[in-house]
Amino acid sequence: MKRPRLAIAGLSGCSGCQLALLNCEAELSLLLEQVECQFFPLAISPVELTGRYDLALVEGCCTSRHDTFLLRELRKRSSRLIALGTCAAWGGVAAMGNDRPRSRLRRQVYGNQPIPADGVPRPVSTVVTVDATVHGCPPEPAELLALLADLLHDTLPLQRSFPVCCDCRMRENLCLLQERGMLCLGLLTAGGCDARCPSLGVPCEGCRGPVPEANVTEALTIYRQKGFDAPTVLGRLRRFCPEWQYGSGA
Amino acid sequence: MPSLLLPHADIKAWLDRLGTDGELHAPLRGRDGAVRFDVVQQGVIPDLQALRSLLPPKKYLLPPNDTVLRYTQADGYHLPLQATTRLILLGLHPCDLAAIAYLDRQFFGDQPDPIYAARRQRLTLIGSSCRPDAYCSCHLSPSPLPAACDLFLHQTATGFLLMPETPRGSAICQATADLLRDYEPKPPPSPRDHFGVAMPPPPQTELDPRLPDWQELANHCLGCGACSLACPTCSCFELLEFGGLDGRTAERLLRWDNCLFKGHAEVAGGHSFQKDRAQRFRYRYRHKYRGYGPLQGVPSCVGCGRCRVQCPAGLDLRPLAERLEKGAP
Repeated sequence: MKRPRLAIAGLSGCSGCQLALLNCEAELSLLLEQVECQFFPLAISPVELTGRYDLALVEGCCTSRHDTFLLRELRKRSSRLIALGTCAAWGGVAAMGNDRPRSRLRRQVYGNQPIPADGVPRPVSTVVTVDATVHGCPPEPAELLALLADLLHDTLPLQRSFPVCCDCRMRENLCLLQERGMLCLGLLTAGGCDARCPSLGVPCEGCRGPVPEANVTEALTIYRQKGFDAPTVLGRLRRFCPEWQYGSGA
Repeated sequence: MPSLLLPHADIKAWLDRLGTDGELHAPLRGRDGAVRFDVVQQGVIPDLQALRSLLPPKKYLLPPNDTVLRYTQADGYHLPLQATTRLILLGLHPCDLAAIAYLDRQFFGDQPDPIYAARRQRLTLIGSSCRPDAYCSCHLSPSPLPAACDLFLHQTATGFLLMPETPRGSAICQATADLLRDYEPKPPPSPRDHFGVAMPPPPQTELDPRLPDWQELANHCLGCGACSLACPTCSCFELLEFGGLDGRTAERLLRWDNCLFKGHAEVAGGHSFQKDRAQRFRYRYRHKYRGYGPLQGVPSCVGCGRCRVQCPAGLDLRPLAERLEKGAP
């Protein structure tokens, strides 16, 4: 049987999502028996796109001209393209300043040094069609492995519709927002992480982006009752997803 | 037969003895102050005064994430092996007992569920009395579901009154007879009296979808799932099949679901039977207060109050139930 051909690429990002896959050490040898990982600059050389791919995993947001070129090229060559992680899905940390003028941001970081005029960081789906999204900063190892298993079974990963709170309650954790008065963003954040942070007593930072049907208006009311005003909460949320829909209560 | 009294001073010895007959699980107060059912280590005294655990005891019968089938190319689909160790659940309040009675009806009702049956058979249920707080509603609306158990403990000033209800319960009393004393007075009234009460079934008229309450609830609902995850009778689940990385095996997972989630009533093609939260609240209400499916006419709310305590928005279906159920002819 011909092994599916896989491309794993990073655009503007920290490579953490790709690293999350490389960290699945116990499964890597099995994985490489099953797929032909042809393009994976972070881990494998030579670094050249050749022929067609059954699956392309794209990490990071699309910012530079090179990002756009690579992304379009991968889309053209791949049967399926997956947005891997929060930057690819929502823009992420690189896009958190998108509401401020680029010229000012550039001056703040680079001073008057000339740099190539580049684009605005944006989610992968605003440039090419995306077949599925894996959330998280970085995604959960189990989700990455399930995604690759899905590819082998010729299907797409499940898109979940529950928030982190659901994961958290299932683990029988005490609610950090209700009982500890912490600014935990689990109410508004897409679940599937098994409540990794709240289970360690660390409030949810919202790294997986908005849960479908998030009730931002009500959440902001609850946060306000706990002493967190809307700008604080929205500022937190925007770190991972600058395009948050604020609802009427903002 | 007179009741038997276990004096407070002997509870530790009694618990140690109990643990030899199976793994003892009871409400324990964690360092974070929260109460959870968990295994009782030798010498640890469970918190029998605690009113409600975070998760109800349904987690012993329907774990939140549960592999229900495994697939291999050689053998096809097969049930996973189930543990057979006996579990003694101690400190179940009447509402939690009634909830187990409800789950029994559901999972043994038509075609018994083999996984549920295996888990249920290894449980010994020891109930204990409690004093309802403002979140409880057992004392406000009695339930036809019986608070059935093997042995019930009545908390009194001097100790626990032991009331065996099954041969298993009597065996525990016999095995620990040297710690027990005869007790003549009648046991005091307890919340248990609110269960197993003959009740007229709730009205079976269709709930009015135009009722403004559904939308009002939906406006405040965050869809976090707390209400049903914490509900001792909610047993809706989703079934997910995950193919293995080896391409030759698969695992089918049962995972708790919630009727307020977008995905709950979604079917192939992205269609949904319950498109918005207002519709989902009507569905949830029907399930909790009027009964559903083969258990139509059996309300499944046992009044434990967990949904009310845990809802971040403080939502509460009970005032609506007071109006719709008690006001109805």
